[in-house]
Amino acid sequence: MNAGDPLKPFRIASVSPEGMKAWAKFLHDPNPIHLDPAVVKAKGLGDRVINQGPANLAYLINMLQEALPGARIESLEVRYVDNVFGGEAVEAGGTIKDISTDGDTSRVNCDVWLRAEARAAVLTGTATLLVHR
Amino acid sequence: MSQSALPPDLPAPPQVAGISLAGTIPFTISAEENRALCESTGVAPAADGTAHPIYFYIATQVGMGMTVAGLCATCDFDVEEGPMMASSKVTFSRPLLTGQAYRVTGRIVSLVRKPSRKLGIMDLLEYVLELSLPDGTSVLSTTNVWVLPRRKLA
Repeated sequence: MNAGDPLKPFRIASVSPEGMKAWAKFLHDPNPIHLDPAVVKAKGLGDRVINQGPANLAYLINMLQEALPGARIESLEVRYVDNVFGGEAVEAGGTIKDISTDGDTSRVNCDVWLRAEARAAVLTGTATLLVHR
Repeated sequence: MSQSALPPDLPAPPQVAGISLAGTIPFTISAEENRALCESTGVAPAADGTAHPIYFYIATQVGMGMTVAGLCATCDFDVEEGPMMASSKVTFSRPLLTGQAYRVTGRIVSLVRKPSRKLGIMDLLEYVLELSLPDGTSVLSTTNVWVLPRRKLA
């Protein structure tokens, strides 16, 4: 593990509208743009349901946890840049920016992102993970 | 959302900085819901009782003292107008656990009115939420920023 190394990507082949129904319950948020394509269309936001932002962030967290097994997330900061729509493929990834070590603990700073297929990043940010030897 | 000057006759946003977002009921992450959430994102739940870290957002948002609609209403904004998440930041002091009761505290930091090329006028709502154990031990602190489009003011 070195500065500049890419983080192993985490991919969702198709963001599920059924998953959005579940997230509406997790978040206690019945916003119909996540549930009803007709509402999305009426609001001029597209013609497919829109995934919840925290669900997109969960994919990014999955990438961090699978790329650095055993590491603990110390901090995470993201910007929500664009929407993810039902049926889209998304891929989370990142790059190690730098690593500092203090005793038996390493602090790994990373640039992170989530991209929807054939589009630019929908989430961008930074993360710091603690790795204990 | 690049910016130009605000029109001089534009009304100021409501003064909401400092309003408490403390929850009244502790939030507990159920193992069953954590399993369903993990599976919905394509991973298995942890075997050691830790919850998915995205519960930093869910626990604070659901456990705070207002609904999202109520928070918007406090800012004199109708949730039907479509608030948008702009950014989230979290710092963990310890991992989240299933079956553990957490207390939510927090406050509105600011509501700032700005011009927006895309939206005309928007308000940026920033609020901080903290999660702690029942004995007061800090678990995490998170800051969210939402865009509240003010199309009617444009």
